[in-house]
Amino acid sequence: MMMRGGRSLVSSPPAFSNDASKLLVCTSNTVSVFSTATGFQITSLEGHTALVTSVLVVPPSSPAAKVLCYCWTASLDGTIRYWDFSVPELLKTIEIRVPIFSMVIPSFLDVPAEDKGKHEDLFAYVFIKDTKETQDKSKALRRQIRKCNLSKSCLVGRLILGETKKLEVLTVSPSGKFFGICNKFKLHIWKVPDQGSEHAAVRKITLHHTKKITVITFHPTQRIIAAGDVTGRILTWRGFGNRAFAGSNGIENQKLINVQEDKPGVRDNDDADSCSTWHWHSAEVNVLSFSSDGTYLYSGGKEGVLVVWQLDTGKKKFLPRIGSPLLYFIDSPDPTLSSISCADNQIHLLKMPSMGILKTISGIKAPCCYPVKYEGWGNGIAFDQTAGLVALRTENYCIQFYSLFDDRGISEVQVCERNHQPGDDVTVIVTAVALSIDGSLMSTSEVKLAEEGIGGLVCLKFWQARSQNKEFSLSTIVYEPHRDAGISAVTFHPSCNMVVSSSFGGDFKVWRCNSDISQNDQMRQNFSWTCHAVGSYKKKPMTAAVFSADGSVLAVAAETLITLWNPYKNVLLAVLGETLTPIVNLSFIGKSDNVVAASCGSNPQLSVWSMSKLSLSWSYKLRIEAVASALDLSSFAALALLPESSNETPFKGRDGVILLYNATDPVPTAIWSVRKAKGGALGFLQVNPSSVEEISIDGQGKQYGYASIYGELPELDKKRPETPWVPSFPSERPWETIFSGSSHNLPPLTKLCSAFLESLLEKRAAAVE
Amino acid sequence: MAEIRAEEQTLAISKTFLIKPKLKPKARTLPQTPESKYWSSFKSTQIPNLISSISSLSFSPSPPHPFAAAYSASVSLFSPLSLSDGDVSPSSTISSFSDVVSSISFRSDGLLLAASDLSGLVQVFDVKSRTPLRRLRSHTRPVRFVKYPVLDKLHLLSGGDDAVVKFWDVAGESVVLDLMGHKDYVRCGDCSPVSPDLFVTGSYDHTVKVWDVRVEDSRSVLEVNHGKPVEDVIYLPSGGLIATAGGNSVKIWDLIGGGRMVHSMESHNKTVTSICVGRIRKENCGDESMEDRILSVGLDGYMKVFDYGNMKVTHSMRFPAPLMSVGFSPDCRTRVIGTSNGIIFAGRRKGKENVESGGGGNVLGFESISEPERRGLRPTYFRYFHRGQSEKPVEGDYLVMRNKKVKLAEHDKLLKKFRHKDALVSVLNKKNRENVVAVMEELVTRKKLLKCVSNLDADELGLLLTFLSKNATMPRYSSLLMGLTEKVIEMRAEDIRSSDPLKGHIRNLKRSIEEELRIQHSLQEIQGIISPLLRIAGRR
Repeated sequence: MMMRGGRSLVSSPPAFSNDASKLLVCTSNTVSVFSTATGFQITSLEGHTALVTSVLVVPPSSPAAKVLCYCWTASLDGTIRYWDFSVPELLKTIEIRVPIFSMVIPSFLDVPAEDKGKHEDLFAYVFIKDTKETQDKSKALRRQIRKCNLSKSCLVGRLILGETKKLEVLTVSPSGKFFGICNKFKLHIWKVPDQGSEHAAVRKITLHHTKKITVITFHPTQRIIAAGDVTGRILTWRGFGNRAFAGSNGIENQKLINVQEDKPGVRDNDDADSCSTWHWHSAEVNVLSFSSDGTYLYSGGKEGVLVVWQLDTGKKKFLPRIGSPLLYFIDSPDPTLSSISCADNQIHLLKMPSMGILKTISGIKAPCCYPVKYEGWGNGIAFDQTAGLVALRTENYCIQFYSLFDDRGISEVQVCERNHQPGDDVTVIVTAVALSIDGSLMSTSEVKLAEEGIGGLVCLKFWQARSQNKEFSLSTIVYEPHRDAGISAVTFHPSCNMVVSSSFGGDFKVWRCNSDISQNDQMRQNFSWTCHAVGSYKKKPMTAAVFSADGSVLAVAAETLITLWNPYKNVLLAVLGETLTPIVNLSFIGKSDNVVAASCGSNPQLSVWSMSKLSLSWSYKLRIEAVASALDLSSFAALALLPESSNETPFKGRDGVILLYNATDPVPTAIWSVRKAKGGALGFLQVNPSSVEEISIDGQGKQYGYASIYGELPELDKKRPETPWVPSFPSERPWETIFSGSSHNLPPLTKLCSAFLESLLEKRAAAVE
Repeated sequence: MAEIRAEEQTLAISKTFLIKPKLKPKARTLPQTPESKYWSSFKSTQIPNLISSISSLSFSPSPPHPFAAAYSASVSLFSPLSLSDGDVSPSSTISSFSDVVSSISFRSDGLLLAASDLSGLVQVFDVKSRTPLRRLRSHTRPVRFVKYPVLDKLHLLSGGDDAVVKFWDVAGESVVLDLMGHKDYVRCGDCSPVSPDLFVTGSYDHTVKVWDVRVEDSRSVLEVNHGKPVEDVIYLPSGGLIATAGGNSVKIWDLIGGGRMVHSMESHNKTVTSICVGRIRKENCGDESMEDRILSVGLDGYMKVFDYGNMKVTHSMRFPAPLMSVGFSPDCRTRVIGTSNGIIFAGRRKGKENVESGGGGNVLGFESISEPERRGLRPTYFRYFHRGQSEKPVEGDYLVMRNKKVKLAEHDKLLKKFRHKDALVSVLNKKNRENVVAVMEELVTRKKLLKCVSNLDADELGLLLTFLSKNATMPRYSSLLMGLTEKVIEMRAEDIRSSDPLKGHIRNLKRSIEEELRIQHSLQEIQGIISPLLRIAGRR
């Protein structure tokens, strides 16, 4: 049985229902319906077989019809579907047979009243990619705007309104009279013909600009169109199309007058009265929308700032620090509610005049792009086994807690207090996160990259949960826990408050926690973590660390060797060795006395070591991305990347497999294949039998017949984009010779020295007696 | 209400993070308890230059509670009111003694003061005129303590090295009772706060005896053995418990229970010389109450506060000399400690805690004049338009909190505007090195620090170099600043060469670096010495 989750909520603009109580969000193959009051998912429309690209809610024809919940959806699978999303039920499917990238239905915005009896034909304008072989060889890729008769469920034959080279989104005016598209430096606007036949001529005008236009929007009442470009300018054309569209009004002679008129700011011979420019955004404008009464214009872009322009005066108001580039701004029928979609997979519901955030629908956040040097570092993903949560590092220095069962974000913890600044390179990286078994304690480490060798800093932080809903508060910060060396792994002891951090600098530290119950508030415990022991093995970089299931043995990987320690007394118990390349992942296998190690590099290896015999049991030559083992089971799972060469028929587009092994048996007991396995993580979750059943009802996809009480959820990475790699320079530290050292609170040197010597001498004297 | 709720639900995502310096390591010791806060709130003033050790301290029971200190052959009176003004000279001094004064005691109305000296004489003075009214001579050896009973104005209690405790009729200058029973010097005694007939005395024969004047054959009613020569004994305010000090322990005895030892406090390292009762205001679940503590001082220089309800030492304070005597004023505002080298440490609290003067104000019969009636506000008044602004919320009101305004420092504002160099210069001008380092770290994360350095003009470069020469070798900041110093010198070599003031800064920098190098060298030498020792110690 498999469950999928973590879809992108921001692949296409969402839509509000007519009473603004629901928000329809395109989530890959389905449309999820969220309640705007609670922010939780109510239901989903399932049926499309490819990415849903547009969702359009049918507006009410009369105030009474506000409760009706009908919508049209278009998808890349070449179908347009008509749904009743209150039930939810599929009412109608129209086969177009070509992928649809965008769809607008202008005519239902001014549908005549219902009581006329006869339904007019409903037309949609769709933006499609023509995959059919065309006779015209020169146009290899044809992206066309076509008209589609939804009532008769067919494309209007041979009528191609326009063609572009790139994919663009159709925008319709709120009045339903125009729709437009931006095409590089040009802007195409079509006037929707009045009710009429299929082949009524559609008039078109084009407006020009010198920069690439990214987004356009129409004024709700007047003939004003606004467009944003890549440089952050916002252009507003007033009275567009007076010439070309005037014909329908039958006033021919106005055309002549318009030609002679002075048209400030309008380029060439474009068909508009005037054009004005505003410039505040420093980068590309992604969001542009008029308020429903047309007095304000909302704009936003990469800065993560929503700007409200007063249309007449050009005065600005801001909603700053949303924390992520904005993608869509949608007004709801309720004037006090609107939504912003952000690039970090969050949809914020705004309370409108005050622009406060009412609710946030949070999807899984994409991992940030790390420089190559830090790509493979440590355990960037941690699982809360009891609550079924996963803790992920996000771009704005947060740890996001994402519920795997509920498929929604629970909370976020700001690990590093920095403001979002667009356009900066990544300079602060959260390298590792670890959770205790019960999920009440967290430990994170972060690295601040140096600027030409100065100012780098490694930080280890310990957090404690205040309540059940994962609100963490900081309990201890340790600056430079291992001098200036980076932390390779952080791991929690399974039963007592103990943390081990291992570093590339060749040592590991055992941290213990002194909890003192503060006097004024008996309920709250204050944890303070102090270093309990330091260990190293031949000054080798420590690359991974893990506790055994009962916590009595600590295994630390010293490059190619596995060292076993008693964590309480800090005594080296045994050394297992050795692998060919440095070990990056280490895990004890539940009940059995085996430890599994994964090493990477040129000679990757998955090896299982027996602790009773202190020798290698078996090994595979596999490139392993993640290893996980259940606490009280004698099996473990490994996520292996498939070699490039074997990318053949059995795995279509899938580049990784999850292998479930029994500790003693080198033959895997189960295999699943996954997509986008790079950077993935694995974790066993504890599930009681009742919820397993629940999942199997909800779960889509293949049934694996996994009849244990332990459900396994190896998903997570289905929707992750491959992260671009940013190169970075290794930091060199020339002053490292003499002034380094973490002497935070040393007493004056003179005092320290004499006191130390004295204590030493006294001790000896006592021993002599 | 529903609307208010909705307002409250809107979350502010627009968080602004200020540039904060790194946290400093916290001290391991616990944060101050309310009790220790109370005891350290006594603002200490020293009364120096008294001759010899302060043998006894006594507070007048009547407000404003002046206190008397006995030292050498004189007794000085001090006013606590002038203490808080910083005036440490005595308000009056009695010096009609032929020998060292050993003990003093105020009468319960504060008008008379009894003093004993080592010549065996007990004198009673009028506090105002300082004339000796009575001279009680009967002790054959030095008198060690004298005490006025709490509830009795006519009698006096004294004891001395002749091992006899005497009960005096003051008016007639005659001994009423000679109480024999101690086998060694009688050093201390106290009268019961609840009965005029009961008192205790402590002696160097390790025993504390309880006496009752009503008992016919002048024998002690009760006897407890402290185990060490008893230096001080007091009744605790309930009258049922006594505390004895001797050796380095303070013991608490239950008299009603037949002389059972309740607790022994042994946190002093040397002999406890004096104890007294102190009071602290406690707030338990809203209502205030006074709780009693035992203050003990010893030759180890410590004053300890002992909570005999919980049997715990709740506070301890160190003084730079052996302590001889302690006193605590009845209004809980003054605490005095006498040392062996002629210094009195007087502590005084702010505030107006009139514990004793309950309803004492109307003795003269004057009614307090009622305040003039407040006129109602009319729209012609300016205040009319501001009415109700200072209204405090009543319990049960629904509070709509205004968002706290984030205060931005100048460098924060400049950083927000991406004016990096200006931010650096502004924070360098502010002379707060933690903030400077924090701004530098922020600039590093923005990868703008070196650009800032290259843009600085000569004056600003001087500012930066001054900062670096002062702080570059500090261990807390050196990891950042040493690297920066190197870069700055490398990048701005030309400018530095051409300007004399900058050269001066560089000289300073060199000097501090050289000093640091010397320290490092000596440290390495020490390490060389220590490491073999450590190895040997490890081998054992």
